[in-house]
Amino acid sequence: MVLANMYAYSILNHKLAEESHLKKQCSHSNWSVSSADRRSAINELLAGAAVSDEARELLTIALETRELAEPTIVHPGIAMPHCRSILVDEISIIIARSENGIPWPKEKVNVIILFISPVKPSGPQQHMELIRHLARYLRDGGAEAVLNAETAAEAAAVLRFNICESE
Amino acid sequence: MNRDLERLISLHDLDVMIGDLINKDIRRQEKRLGLSPDDAVTELRKMRDELDSSINRRFRDKYNQLSAHYGNAVVPVVHERCSGCFTQLPTALFASPERNEQVETCPSCGRFIYWAD
Repeated sequence: MVLANMYAYSILNHKLAEESHLKKQCSHSNWSVSSADRRSAINELLAGAAVSDEARELLTIALETRELAEPTIVHPGIAMPHCRSILVDEISIIIARSENGIPWPKEKVNVIILFISPVKPSGPQQHMELIRHLARYLRDGGAEAVLNAETAAEAAAVLRFNICESE
Repeated sequence: MNRDLERLISLHDLDVMIGDLINKDIRRQEKRLGLSPDDAVTELRKMRDELDSSINRRFRDKYNQLSAHYGNAVVPVVHERCSGCFTQLPTALFASPERNEQVETCPSCGRFIYWAD
């Protein structure tokens, strides 16, 4: 089994670009990810989210279900697993990079941008804004810049996320 | 966690996912990313049917009834309150050491409840 050489960071409370009203305090943590397949990669990335083990398993199922319905490859080499869930109470964004690539499963993915938004009575507005934000910054060379980023901070800068050190 | 409760939470998240992909604003953004929300919805509906049929009929019927009435059938307990109707839950319910080990409902609104912490 080839282990992917990955780095990742999570932004548990993120801060988007100035034009968004989703401004929040933010934090992140780095960790190495060694998963070599999609499901285990999603599960491993979710280890950076502030959820219980039980919730993490259910979130993995939800994200994997979305991938089974349609792989969320938004650019060659970049996957964007995402959903809303009642298991989180704040937006979680986790970005990981793999030098060797992870089978997704037909194409290899080098960057994973995973995010989960809470289900709120106000509806999916925040979630939609986040998708729009990512769509905007992945266009016009942004996706290539994320793929070529050498550090988590570089990738975050391309996507206009402001990150802080974890507590 | 109780298996039926897990399935009810998964069913709820799946319904939210399908609802999002039907939402015209989200569909537009997903298409901008090169994704195909129509194809995804078709597949997700099949998976939903499979999951739905695996749930105890009593819970499944109640889930569908609650979803139709409130729009959400499963809610987390927040600060000892049902986050669906905000009613304070009885002490016996939130003090139980077996939280999430059986399917519980809010005594006030009837929604399925679970503890996230």
